[in-house]
Amino acid sequence: MYRFLLVWVFALVASFSASMTAGAQPPTGPAQSSAAPLTSGAKSATPVNPGTSTAKPIARPAQVLGAPVKTYGSSSAPITMEVFTDYECPTCKRLFEETLRPMISDYVAAGKVYLVHHDFPLPMHKYGYEAARWLNASARVGQFQNVEAALYDHQESWAADGDIGKYVAGAMSPTEFKKVETQMRGCGLGAPAAVKSASFALGSQSGSGDACAVDSYIEADRALGNQIPVTGTPTYVISYKGHRLPAGSGVVSWPILKQFFDSLLSQ
Amino acid sequence: MSNDTRRRLGRIVVIVARVALAAIFLFAAYAKMKPQPGMPWTPGSVRTSLSMFAIGVDSYEMLPPWAVSPFAHFLPPFELFLGLWLLSGYGMRFSGLVSTALICAFILAMYSAYRRGLTISCGCFGQGAQIGIMELIRDGLLFLPLALIVTIGGFVTKRNRTGSTLPQSSASVSHAD
Repeated sequence: MYRFLLVWVFALVASFSASMTAGAQPPTGPAQSSAAPLTSGAKSATPVNPGTSTAKPIARPAQVLGAPVKTYGSSSAPITMEVFTDYECPTCKRLFEETLRPMISDYVAAGKVYLVHHDFPLPMHKYGYEAARWLNASARVGQFQNVEAALYDHQESWAADGDIGKYVAGAMSPTEFKKVETQMRGCGLGAPAAVKSASFALGSQSGSGDACAVDSYIEADRALGNQIPVTGTPTYVISYKGHRLPAGSGVVSWPILKQFFDSLLSQ
Repeated sequence: MSNDTRRRLGRIVVIVARVALAAIFLFAAYAKMKPQPGMPWTPGSVRTSLSMFAIGVDSYEMLPPWAVSPFAHFLPPFELFLGLWLLSGYGMRFSGLVSTALICAFILAMYSAYRRGLTISCGCFGQGAQIGIMELIRDGLLFLPLALIVTIGGFVTKRNRTGSTLPQSSASVSHAD
């Protein structure tokens, strides 16, 4: 009986210390200072050293264009919120519609919060990677915000049939859509849906010779997410005056998040 | 093993369980109330940490919106109080019962979130490990038995004390008669 108790107490101590260690882990690897926001030096979501990704060498963008700008607001805002999302993830849609939308029109517009989007397409989602490709291609021609809204607004539709291009086209002028399509060259758009989805699910790791210009940006975001580490979407990291706070995940309602921001801003 | 040794060992187990449980609650309170990186210990920074904890509570999607913030501002100070209460050893059966109820509530909340497939942080010791089987095992097989030991130990101690004082009180009553 007492021997059993002794084993149990030992297990308790071991489990408790293991849980403490997990909680105390810095959100990033040693290569990055814990005080620096994830996007420091890359405020406009410039890929951070894509070479650090665990994926095979990533195809470089086919032509020299600006990095996709996937942000809302001013980078000089005191609070930075970085969100890792998968466009096919229903919880990400809820976070965007219930929390980020009111936040964008309120605190981002007021210059209090700088919102940064990072792609973290999950393998379980058939069209998540493809949606991220469309988004990055659109972001490179300055259409990030419209396309992000369109992707979430029509998530159920394109997640069912994979026809993402239709909703991307609807979010911008035909001239701009042509530019986006140019960005999407080499991303397997001409392939049948089944082949496309398999290729997209594997991303640039497929080794199929797909030279999709925007994959490097997705992989850079994923590498950044793996440093936190992101284990599910949505995951968000909030930084205040250069200090990064522990990452959170799931849906948080806007009034609660606003209360937290107010508390931070009053410091 | 004689009855005396067994009783002494039992008492030691209860004390160890009580102190361990107190330490768990005190650490949980500290982890939730400690200032965020780069902030000093001030009432304002503690409020900020409690607001951050409210985000974690909200992500469970169990409480109505109006209740999230009051609950998040109440729970960590209550854990602090409970930890100190357990340490004091006063009214052990009641502190044990409250601890048991609280841990059961935590387990139910985590199980509910796990069943709904929420990929959220447990929030038990500040932001940290995600809710999963390990967290449920930790609370269910390690923390809950601790609370039960304290509760049962508290009731047994009370019964033993009452048992040992009863003859005295009846003697004094008969003496008074």
